[in-house]
This record gives sequence, structure tokens and C-alpha cells, in this order.
Amino acid sequence: MSENTPQENPLAEIDQIIHAPARLRILLMLYVVESLDYVFLKNQTGLSWGNLATHLGKLENAGYVTIIKGYQGKKPQSQIQFTDSGREAFRSYKNTLQQILNDLPD
Amino acid sequence: MTEKMSLKDLERKMYRVSSQDGILDIQIGIMLLIFVFPIYLSDTLGDFWSSMVFLPLWVFVISGFRAYRKNVIQPRVGKIQYGTYRKKRLKRLNIIILFFNVIALVLGVLVFYKFKELSDWVISAWFSIIILLGFSLAGYMLDFPRLYLYGLLISAAPVIGEYLYQNLGYSHHGFPVTFGFSSAVLVITGLTILIRLLMKYPAQNREELV
Repeated sequence: MSENTPQENPLAEIDQIIHAPARLRILLMLYVVESLDYVFLKNQTGLSWGNLATHLGKLENAGYVTIIKGYQGKKPQSQIQFTDSGREAFRSYKNTLQQILNDLPD
Repeated sequence: MTEKMSLKDLERKMYRVSSQDGILDIQIGIMLLIFVFPIYLSDTLGDFWSSMVFLPLWVFVISGFRAYRKNVIQPRVGKIQYGTYRKKRLKRLNIIILFFNVIALVLGVLVFYKFKELSDWVISAWFSIIILLGFSLAGYMLDFPRLYLYGLLISAAPVIGEYLYQNLGYSHHGFPVTFGFSSAVLVITGLTILIRLLMKYPAQNREELV
């Protein structure tokens, strides 16, 4: 029994990289600004450093975000921002989810 | 209970977290002192130089707080670069501030050279209206609701000062008292917000940073 085609299972269309709650929270924040640093993301998402790094790693591997390493004085300060393809994937995720929810019977 | 939040609300919340640290309150509060201390020197130095001698202090205070924000607050709260919407809004605010400064300057010059016979009440009322409009617009553009309250408080200062001067014999149109009070309110509010922020966001352990 296969439930992987969009006709049989609409949720199969949903991008699972984005759909995880922690990553979704990160991407929502990135969507409304140009860039953020680790500290801001950690404070606002409530994730631990380890979790944050893991999720950002997954997003970076998927090509959805880019991490620009930098320094402020001698202190490291990396900035995280959406890539163009990440922004596009997020928009498509939003539309797909909206479509699925709209198609639900009352 | 779940809180409904649009992307616009989220952007506003993030902007407020990153920018409303009490520093602006303190800076405005300190700048208001220009109506408190320099006027005591105006008899000896004249109106212009009595204000000018305080200029280095203001520059020092403003740049000091800027450095404090960069080196102490930002490492705790985090750094954010705003999107196009916020950048445009802040740019528009700069134009509005410039416009208000020009209007205030023109009115000041007109009062000084052309309308010397105007009653002090009228001049105080003009002053109040400009302050109220300026703060309201800044509050709107900066998404900074406290600025509306500050606008009300500070715009009341010239009129109340004039009342104190004419009816109770306070010196210098009552400015040292009314603006001194407004300044104290702003500085105390700013310091309270700043201390609460520093407690909420303790210094980050750099070793934990990725």
C-alpha cells in the first residue's frame, strides 16, 4: 500500500525540512527580516545551542539558509539569512499547507 | 490559550525586541536637560553659548550609549538586520525629523525677529504643538507607543511652565521644573526597561556559541 502520491496523501507534498516546528519557527523569523544572528534566534526560539545548530545545519544543507561567518571586533558573529531558493520553498510550503487546509471538509 | 500572530505582528515583535531597550528613552530624557541647565548660564554666556557648552556632553552621552548598545546589549539580545519594510519606515522617519527641525528653526527665528510682541502663552502653545506632533509621528513610524505618552508629557511642559512662571513666580518660564520632571520620568523609565532587559537576557557564554 502506497500513500506517497499527492492524490492519495496530500501531506506527502509538504516539505518536511520546513515542516518541523523548530525549523518552521526559525524560518518564520528569517522570512520577515534580512538576517539574524545565533543569539537572537536562540533567545526568541528558546532552543538550546545544540538544537539550534542542528536545525540550522539541516536548513543549510537543504540550501534554504546561508550562514555568513563574521566577527564583531574579536568576537564571532555569524549572520543567518534566507537564500532565494529557501524563500521560494517557504512560499511554496505556505501555499501547499493553505491549499490542504482549505480542502478539508468543515 | 493560543495567540494569533500574523507575519507583520511577528516582524513588529522582533523589531521591538531588538530596538526597545530603554536607551532611546534615556537619550531623549538627557537631551531634555537642555531646557534645564543651560538656561541658568544664559545670563552670563548668552542664549547661544549657554546651550553650546553642553553640546560636547550630549555628543558624549549619545555616543556612549551607542557603544553600550553595541558592546553590552547586542551580544545579549542578538543582532538583527531589518527587512525592506522596516528600513523604508526608518528612512521616512529621518526625513520627518529633518522636516520638524526645519519647521522648529523657522518658527524660532520668526518669533525672535518678527513676532516679539506675541504673548508667551502663544509661543508656549506653538512649542507644545510641535513637540506633540513630532513625538506622535515618531511613535507611529518607530512602532514605539511610549512615545505618544512622552509627547503628551513633554508637550505639557512649556504650557505648565508658563503657568508656574506667570502665577507662582517660577524662574525661566518654569522650564527647569517642568522639563526637569519630564526628563526624570524618561530617564527613570529608560533605566527600568534597560535593567529588566539585562536581567532577562544574561550575558551569553561565548564558549557555547557555534
